[in-house]
Amino acid sequence: MFKLLKPYKGMIILLILFAVVSNAANLVIPRIIAHGIDAYSAGNYVFKTILIEFLIVAGVIFLFAMLQTVVQTYASEKVGLDFRKRLSDKISRQSYAFIQDANPSKLLTNLTSDMDSVKMFVSVGVSSIVSSIFMIIGTSVFLVVINWKLAIPVLFLIPSVGISFYFVLKKVRVLFLRSREVIDWLNRVINESILGSAIIRVINSQQVEYRKFLNASAEARDLGISIVTLFATLIPLITFFGNLATLTILMLGGHFVISGQLSLGDFAAFNSYVVILIFPIIVIGFISNLIAQASASYQRIEGVLKAEETADTGTQDQPLKGNIELKNITVVYDDKPALKDVSFKIEPGTRTAVIGPTAAGKTQLLYLLTGLIRPKEGEVLFDGINLNEYKKESFHNQIGIVFQDSVMFNMSLLENISFSEAVTEESLNRAIETAGLSEFIHTLSKGLDTVVSERGTSLSGGQKQRIMLARALALNPKILLLDDFTARVDQQTEQKILKNVQKNYPELTLISVTQKISPVKDFDQIILLMEGEVIASGKHDALRTSSPEYVQIYESQKSTSHYEL
Amino acid sequence: MSYNLNEAIEEKKKKRLGWKSVKSLVGHMVEEKNTLLVAFIAMVVTAILNLIGPIIIGNTVDKYIATSQYKGIIHNGIVLLVAYIIALFAGYLQTRLMGSVGQRMLYTLRNSVFQKLQDLPYDFFNQNKSGDLISRINNDTDKINQFFSQSLMQFLRIILIMIGSGIFIVSIQWELGLAALSPAVLIWLFTRFVSPRVKKYNAESLKQVGLLSSEVQESLNNFKVVVAFNRRDYFRKRFNQVNRENYTAAVKAGVANNIFLPVYTLFSNFGLLIVLALGIYFISIGEFTVGLLISFIAYVNSFYNPLRQLASLWANFQVALAAWDRIRKILELENNLTVVPSKEIDETATLLSFRDVSFSYPNGNEVLHQITFNLKKGKTYAFVGPTGGGKTTTASLVSRLYDPTQGKVLLDGKDIRSFSEEERTRRIGFILQDPFLFGGTIRENILYGNAEYGDLSDEELMQIFHDSGLESLLQRFEKGLDTKVDASGDGISLGQKQLIAFMRAVLRKPDLLILDEATANIDTVTEKLLDEILQKLPESTTKVIIAHRLNTIENADVIYFVNTGKVTRAGSLKEAVDMLMKGKMAS
Repeated sequence: MFKLLKPYKGMIILLILFAVVSNAANLVIPRIIAHGIDAYSAGNYVFKTILIEFLIVAGVIFLFAMLQTVVQTYASEKVGLDFRKRLSDKISRQSYAFIQDANPSKLLTNLTSDMDSVKMFVSVGVSSIVSSIFMIIGTSVFLVVINWKLAIPVLFLIPSVGISFYFVLKKVRVLFLRSREVIDWLNRVINESILGSAIIRVINSQQVEYRKFLNASAEARDLGISIVTLFATLIPLITFFGNLATLTILMLGGHFVISGQLSLGDFAAFNSYVVILIFPIIVIGFISNLIAQASASYQRIEGVLKAEETADTGTQDQPLKGNIELKNITVVYDDKPALKDVSFKIEPGTRTAVIGPTAAGKTQLLYLLTGLIRPKEGEVLFDGINLNEYKKESFHNQIGIVFQDSVMFNMSLLENISFSEAVTEESLNRAIETAGLSEFIHTLSKGLDTVVSERGTSLSGGQKQRIMLARALALNPKILLLDDFTARVDQQTEQKILKNVQKNYPELTLISVTQKISPVKDFDQIILLMEGEVIASGKHDALRTSSPEYVQIYESQKSTSHYEL
Repeated sequence: MSYNLNEAIEEKKKKRLGWKSVKSLVGHMVEEKNTLLVAFIAMVVTAILNLIGPIIIGNTVDKYIATSQYKGIIHNGIVLLVAYIIALFAGYLQTRLMGSVGQRMLYTLRNSVFQKLQDLPYDFFNQNKSGDLISRINNDTDKINQFFSQSLMQFLRIILIMIGSGIFIVSIQWELGLAALSPAVLIWLFTRFVSPRVKKYNAESLKQVGLLSSEVQESLNNFKVVVAFNRRDYFRKRFNQVNRENYTAAVKAGVANNIFLPVYTLFSNFGLLIVLALGIYFISIGEFTVGLLISFIAYVNSFYNPLRQLASLWANFQVALAAWDRIRKILELENNLTVVPSKEIDETATLLSFRDVSFSYPNGNEVLHQITFNLKKGKTYAFVGPTGGGKTTTASLVSRLYDPTQGKVLLDGKDIRSFSEEERTRRIGFILQDPFLFGGTIRENILYGNAEYGDLSDEELMQIFHDSGLESLLQRFEKGLDTKVDASGDGISLGQKQLIAFMRAVLRKPDLLILDEATANIDTVTEKLLDEILQKLPESTTKVIIAHRLNTIENADVIYFVNTGKVTRAGSLKEAVDMLMKGKMAS
């Protein structure tokens, strides 16, 4: 973890310097006081000298403590800023599969609370450890110099406090780990209750959620109490050891004063130094715990940073023609095959429909074509070239995809639609018109500048779907992928939109995953997918005679067919 | 009502309501009064014993060391040892009891925040970003937690020690004592002056943490769009911006929080200087002794050293206060969908009736205009119409996710607002457009909130599944009831989610079941099966099917056409199709 500090060497050195100076100056104060008392007893007391010494030292402490504060805050926040940037850059270059695997909420913790622990380490950890060690050594030296015979028994304080810390913290650490898990648990319940707020209210299951929460919350409380109990042993124990040191000074020191081996002033200084000595020992104990927590967080972050990057090795950036070929594709999800040995070809400028029952692997197929997921076996070829050989940027700019679930960003409609830098004013307008959104946008008082709420709750399902279509079309794509577009848009609108697409984007290659056969009857190819396998493919008329499964699906929709246009 | 947490609430109201939530915490403290009393006694004992130390030491120095009486030294030494041992146990008792009280109070606080979250209506979740809410509940309660678990006890202990030391100092020699304490007044003034600002910086910093967390939440949850649309650079740009703002706010808060220590130290040193100079002066005029000065300095130290520790605690306190303000904003919100008693019965009404209902979303757009219709027992209704016409909104009013802005929704002729939540939700089932699954198994999800079937054995449950025709749906999941799902719904298709939501709603056997595009992503073969299952529901069940796919509504008894915020009754399917066509052409 210390290598993280390397680029900030300058600041860290300054920080340590300031901390050491201000703490060292702190050590001088009791010395001045002892000196004053002794000088008075000896009869050569000059107030002015003491005053000047005192003020200088107090001034130095203040100045350096102040500087330390500022540098410490800047250093830790700068480390936080840069480290967060590094992590987010890393995340931003990762594949979709990685994000799903790493779990967005864990990554959120990495970027927030884990970062906080690391920042804490930088701000207080480094300087505290260095200055505490310095203080302990300094104080010990002072004590030894004043009277080594008294100093040695007093310094027994250090190992006894150290040992108690060691034992208590060993136990506390286990509890801390467990409490981290409980916090994750609490967060999970909170997250679900936020994301599922609608269904909870429809079912009136608030109490169910509350009980779930209570379980986690009670465990967090019990763990908290266990931790407190351990600290309840530790803190009075340390005080007790400190008190024993004071007692030693009184008894043994008293003896030395009587036998003339120690002055009264030094006796007073001994007392003051013991108080100063206890504090850094306690600090080291707590800081060691903090460092342990920070290094756990650091390791978690490091795990993400070290993850293999799916580097963009592609070099091809020529325009796509729209020729797509899948060769023996197998996709595995959770050890279950989602697609099994799938092969087919799509000619440029044609329209292809993919139909099949729920969980047949249709969506996986589209994800595969956009490079969101990778096949375990087989190849995806565009114009005869493997997808991996394309430069991602130019590739993604040529493929538009409309996802099944609506994904809206808390931004203006304009930003939601022209969601790529490749979008021009002209392509934007054409996309809006094609998606049949012009009128809807006109009804909004702020038009395209209307801000969409996070989950797009102010929009209807169909509106969201059409915004997503406009987002895909605004890229002016060569290939358009629709995932169950019909599900949220009524048939008339769908027909109109598909017609618009054909008219405004005549060269487009279209692949549409759908439930309904009638709108895709005249498509160039219909692929029937079941349980991850291609059962049949061909034109509508051919499939009607060759595939019983196709016929079954078609029949299930037939009763309403006379209402079709 | 505005539920937006980032909009300011009226000052006056804020104070009153804020106080209420403080009172609930204080109320909890009252329950713990015995524990607190013991802890307090232990605390006083510890403080007194720790303070007695310097007295005995001073006494020993003056009386015995100065006069070389070993017997007295040993005697006092034993007294001290006993005092220290008692202090050890009292200290343990105090820390342990206070710590437990702190944890229990935090537990109460955490629970009341969550309880409030459950009490608030659906609208609250639409007006706030989930990232921000999560940050408030996790990060901000954690800040309060840190204060409660680590600082509060120390805080009380320190204040007690300081008060004790202060009294001792003044009683030993009041002129010297007051002079020694005078810098503390300056510290107090400084703290009073600076604290509000420090709190403000902390509030800003916490707010930025919330913004950062929403940004990350949004981008990562929608990562597929970020990837597919080449917006990785954009994600970076947006993140860098919030990251930078976060940094600026955190630096300000950090410097502000750390300003207390140097200032406190400076003033404490002045205190020592005063004692030294004045003490020596008093000794020189014979009003004080060297031994007393030594113990006096020890007392001044035991006054100012805790004060310096107080500096960092005070910063923690400011952070906790700022966090409390953010949480308080949630606690202050009131549910506007309370039960409104009403005995009035409209005789003309049926199972469910709308009477001149208008509705506007909080942004002011009226989406439903004076709607009136009746739904009768046992009939199947279809609501059709173009997207954005108001279908989902109408359904949301039936299930009381919102209340109408004007007019009334009646259930059995009685205002729907007069029904208890329990009764209303038992009678009205609603399958939402976007299904949500809770982490766990399919069994847990299907029986979610189902009191009747919740405790059944697998066999009994399978029998029910068999009778209701749900068996074949369940078979579509590899491990049946024990198939695992998580809240992100990763690895399960939208269609499958809809199947689970469907089973969940059907097993509750509501009087009125609304299906809002509930089967939109399910293939048509399975859809037929769902139709059959619906037929098996008791005859008295009223079904409302919201759809744009016509095949799903062909069995409807009555079709309502919903467009541009109006609901019109269509005579037949044919007429509905015509209206749909006309509506399209007109729009």
